[in-house]
Amino acid sequence: MIGIALGGIGVCAPGMADWQEARTLLRSPEAQPSDRFPKVAPSWLPAIERRRANTTSRLAVAAAMQAVRDLPSAEVARMPTVFSSADGDGEVLTTMLVALAQPKVALSPTLFHNSVFNAPPGYWGLAAQSNAPSTAVSAGNASFAAGLREVHAQIIATQAPVLYIACDVTRSIIFRDASTAPAPFACALRLLPADAAQPAGGQYLDGWFIDMDEDGANAARMDELPGPFAGNPSAMALRLLAAVANEKAAVIRLPYLDNSWLTIRYFP
Amino acid sequence: MKPLPIAASTMTNACGVGTIDVRSALIRGESGLTRNDFEPAAVLDTWIGRVLEIDTVRVASKHALYDCRNNQLAQLALVQDDFPVAVEAAAQRYGRDRIGVFVGTSTSGILATELAFRAGSLNVSGAGEALSSDLYRYRHSMMATTEFVRSYLGLAGVALTISTACTSSAKVFGAAARAIAAGQCMAAVVGGVDSLALSTLFGFHSLSLLSRHACRPFAADRDGISIGEAAGFALLDPGGDSDVRVVGVGESSDAYHMSTPHPDGAGAAGAMRAALRDAQLAAGDIDYVNLHGTASRANDIAEDRALVDVFGTGTPVSSTKGATGHTLGAAGVTEALIAALALREQWMPGTTNCARVDPELASAVLLLPHSQRLLRVMTNSFGFGGTNCSLVLEGGR
Repeated sequence: MIGIALGGIGVCAPGMADWQEARTLLRSPEAQPSDRFPKVAPSWLPAIERRRANTTSRLAVAAAMQAVRDLPSAEVARMPTVFSSADGDGEVLTTMLVALAQPKVALSPTLFHNSVFNAPPGYWGLAAQSNAPSTAVSAGNASFAAGLREVHAQIIATQAPVLYIACDVTRSIIFRDASTAPAPFACALRLLPADAAQPAGGQYLDGWFIDMDEDGANAARMDELPGPFAGNPSAMALRLLAAVANEKAAVIRLPYLDNSWLTIRYFP
Repeated sequence: MKPLPIAASTMTNACGVGTIDVRSALIRGESGLTRNDFEPAAVLDTWIGRVLEIDTVRVASKHALYDCRNNQLAQLALVQDDFPVAVEAAAQRYGRDRIGVFVGTSTSGILATELAFRAGSLNVSGAGEALSSDLYRYRHSMMATTEFVRSYLGLAGVALTISTACTSSAKVFGAAARAIAAGQCMAAVVGGVDSLALSTLFGFHSLSLLSRHACRPFAADRDGISIGEAAGFALLDPGGDSDVRVVGVGESSDAYHMSTPHPDGAGAAGAMRAALRDAQLAAGDIDYVNLHGTASRANDIAEDRALVDVFGTGTPVSSTKGATGHTLGAAGVTEALIAALALREQWMPGTTNCARVDPELASAVLLLPHSQRLLRVMTNSFGFGGTNCSLVLEGGR
């Protein structure tokens, strides 16, 4: 199995405006994130796009900016992007469904183009002025793991870095009980082939393998995530980020399809 | 990339159910487009590519939870051309858990929720019932159709949905090729499924992009797109013996605008060049290009400029969207399979509904089907979010 190195991290979610804040929270298991929604007006976007961008795109672009902050813009523009989400933007979906249910339907063009599932990587392309390939994938509750597998396959194919962005903004529309709707969550990981990383100081993810576990006794469950994020499929990233924050070797199991698990070993 | 044989395939769209019907319509230059009668969007003065047979389909009772228009269309398409037989043979050879499933869709089964909302049986919160989790998960969600296809075919390997608007089911070829190369699966079922929905019909209307006629790609008098529905599937088997292989996948982004292509087609040209590089070919090696050719004013100009930039003006090109309509997330696989048909039978489809090519467009547009020796062809897909994907297919043994 090829090792994958972690080059940069971004987080954007209520109570976690960036990776520094997320790391502090993840280091203290008792801490509960506040519900303070981070200010997200990604300065990289042209003003008009900044106004038009939907919440998922704002969070995704904000997280992505953090993950590539230290890189020259030309290098950022060359980096392919993989975006994953279980549900896309529940806010946009809800607004659109309400508009479509009116006797006389009138959709706003901006709402329609924001409704495409690949809007966040589209806005990221504008922000980064990137002509590099980008894709948008989904696999229900397995979306975060499925996106990682696509990143893995791309890194094997190209031996080059990939920017991985995961975001879900789920809303009451998708949940029977609105009070169970989880908080939005976005993160971005800059991933690269391990042998391209600095020999010292690199952080490695190694040996992804699929692990069948019918009862799931030892696996991360979505309802075990920190309070407000329980049930947000993209927030499964917090399992991995907790290991990184605590700088401890860890075996992380992410939900995959059919009660199976994607297992990752993390070495700080 | 390592050439990837298309060991089996099937397609269903407004031109017909199964490859043979679609082929007949293309050879005769017939269009499957009809005046919009899709309720409750029939108020829109436009034409659509509707698959009438969907109305007679219910998904198999074993998969009843998945029953919705998108999955009915998926099932209708899947059972044609003995496709399940070929997949089953591959499953026997490799194991069910060693065959991946990669499906492209732009809106999955969103129509089910749209209709429930209109019927007043759902609302956002407060009074009334919130969206049932079963309706959402099995019919509407992005993974619903991929999961249905995987379950219907009895497969248990890696799977994901790609949803990048109108490049979705072109990009599945790239994702499957990479997953096979990385050892995540031995073979893969790739496909695309998109069915008529209110959000897409009213959405494209909001952008003033719907034609009031059956769409006329690359024509002087083109006035917009006709939305169609379609499903197509291919079995990609590195160990298979096939007379058509995927030999190049090229992807790029415009970084220009969310819903308008780069006016010079820079992103489109980038994807075509990337596909040629991936196939280790030169532009002169391509004998025919199946266009994205939506018949929107701006899209066709941008694609034409990109084609001239990459190929010059000598390579024959045509758009089949006048026959099928723009099938959005299913367009990539539909047109890849039309390109495969062209290679297999050595003829190129014409540009249905285009009577006179726009004099401002410089490409060598085929109006009528034409027989010619073909060894390698390209097919283009471009979409919202500035996403571009080109595929190169090679024929012969």
